[in-house]
Amino acid sequence: MTTPSPTEPAEALAVGSRRALVILAHPCADSYGAAVAAAAVVGLREGGAHVDLLDLYELNFQAVMSPEERRAYMGDSPILDPMITEHARLLMAAHTLVFVYPTWWSGPPAILKGWIERVMVSGVSFHIDPDTKRIRRGLTDLRRVVGISTYGSPRTYVRAINDNGRRLFTRSLRLAAGIQLRTTWLGLYAIDTATASDRDAFIAKVRRTTERLAR
Amino acid sequence: MRSHRRVLVIYAHPYPDSLIGAARDALHESLIGSGHEVRITDLYGSGFDPVMSATERREHRFPGVSEDLAPHAEDLRWCDTLALVYPTWWSAQPAIMKGWIDRVWTSGVAWELPEGANRLKPLLTNITRIIVVTSHGSPKWINALQGEAGKRIALRSIRVLCNWRCRTSWWAIYGVDTATHKATSAFISRIRRRASRI
Repeated sequence: MTTPSPTEPAEALAVGSRRALVILAHPCADSYGAAVAAAAVVGLREGGAHVDLLDLYELNFQAVMSPEERRAYMGDSPILDPMITEHARLLMAAHTLVFVYPTWWSGPPAILKGWIERVMVSGVSFHIDPDTKRIRRGLTDLRRVVGISTYGSPRTYVRAINDNGRRLFTRSLRLAAGIQLRTTWLGLYAIDTATASDRDAFIAKVRRTTERLAR
Repeated sequence: MRSHRRVLVIYAHPYPDSLIGAARDALHESLIGSGHEVRITDLYGSGFDPVMSATERREHRFPGVSEDLAPHAEDLRWCDTLALVYPTWWSAQPAIMKGWIDRVWTSGVAWELPEGANRLKPLLTNITRIIVVTSHGSPKWINALQGEAGKRIALRSIRVLCNWRCRTSWWAIYGVDTATHKATSAFISRIRRRASRI
């Protein structure tokens, strides 16, 4: 399966249509993870959504929050990088947000953790009340977060011991962006011993589920 | 007389004049004062690249690390105590530290995967204690709701690659965004006191 075209230009932000943003974090362009992201893009489009894809590795996304950004984090203009401005704009317009990544050490790869840190700043995914310092939610157009991940460990082990990526995307993100956010989680577990038909079945499930969610 | 320990401190903060920077200094001074050996890795200061490359990913089953990571792997094999010092962002380690785990805790350094198995065999059996020193902007109940992902990554996910009797310590401050000077000073004193007792 081929990877869909990258993000369309800025002026394509149509008003009224349902928009989906897919974030892919996998080092290899020919990986199974990239095929899963492509299936999600196809599914969402067939469901009628306008889809933007951000392939963080292809974009050579800078994962590390700089000292300057950290100092600006609590201020009124926490975004200092044009790429972050663009990603924040796509994020704020999205109704459906889809993360596709391999789970490493029970969490997302550093490049995706860094994307959250640098893009989901004050004024984008939350607001800090200047008087009370309490967090108020942002991303008011966002309705659903979908996590799609591959795991080395079997499902029982992942669920019993640890799934910190899932916690991050379904709990931490919801506390900032709004508890009313719906979430969907799709995992392919024990990938090291998964058969070709397991992998194909998962791709089909991703496509089916994303199509249904986009409708 | 307590036994002398070899402590590897992994420190991640964008700038030194921070609470976490002060916590690192307190930890370091206290450990040195007790006669322990300490090595410090400053991830920001050394410009660590946390992004695993396509080549590294393709070869991640083969034992060993690339040349630039060899000193990090050597430090992990040298220590018996690992101390992670970082601010908690989005309920977990900053990307630069997550990437240090992604790239350094690799096959042949931290684990082996026997043919056909789904469970890793731990290799860092020299590590018998993990200490986490961290700060949270939000109050403790928020972090409880979030599920403390960073705590679980440090004290569960990577702990299983260490000695099976590895002890863990969680030295954390919550609610830093609204904390008083008194609360942050108490945190630093607590780090100093606890570190002097290990």
